[in-house]
Amino acid sequence: MNKFEAAVKALSEGDVEFVVIGGVAVTAHGSAHVTFDLDVCYHRSRENMQRLVNALAPYHPCLRGAPPDLAFHFDVPTVSRGLNFTLTTDLGDLDLLGEVQGIGFYPEALARSTTIELYGRPCSVLSLEGLIASKRAAGRTRDLVVIPELEALRELEILRSQRAATSTRTPDKEQGATATERDQGDRRR
Amino acid sequence: MTVEERDWLVRLINHPPPGSKLAAAKEYGIDLTLLLGTLELTPTERLEQLQGAQSFCEELRRAMRNSR
Repeated sequence: MNKFEAAVKALSEGDVEFVVIGGVAVTAHGSAHVTFDLDVCYHRSRENMQRLVNALAPYHPCLRGAPPDLAFHFDVPTVSRGLNFTLTTDLGDLDLLGEVQGIGFYPEALARSTTIELYGRPCSVLSLEGLIASKRAAGRTRDLVVIPELEALRELEILRSQRAATSTRTPDKEQGATATERDQGDRRR
Repeated sequence: MTVEERDWLVRLINHPPPGSKLAAAKEYGIDLTLLLGTLELTPTERLEQLQGAQSFCEELRRAMRNSR
């Protein structure tokens, strides 16, 4: 099991309310960019912060880049006092964001997400439109350079869905199978 | 993805309509042909491919460190 799969499994099985954002979401939508960490937006309710702590504590989260002697206890009081955390864990680098620039908090991120099957589990992933808005709001060079590709992917998504809608209106059996296949997550034949 | 859809996608990517976001991305320097490969994969397969790229980068970094 790879690190992304293990992290998604830990969060999902811990019933954590989260939305996958950032580079991994960009990749899930089809980008060819490479990223090294998993970014998620989490719900700031006390219950969810408890579930988040329960799910991740076994994987020894600590602050990324912090001095080794700096005390850090990943518990509910710590999470509730902070907002965004850049962590190193046994599951790889993991960024926990209570708020996403250009989007808002978890409810807004969820509203702008799409459900995608990742490793056999339905997972909320920020939509291409949401990713474009968040990258634009972040405004750093490394965010801005991704936008043209995301906009191209968004355009392809629209064009493919229009093409699929046209195809399903034709009696061609082969084209009809394609639309069904796309609904199942672009799985290859 | 069917052969027909792939052919349609190849044509679109090689000759994006003027004024489109695809044309703008190509002009910006994005290699749209890479998207052909990723769009044929499921989201999980895309993340597995990403993990493979990460492993390769980590191996490369290790080799660079060892060669110093």
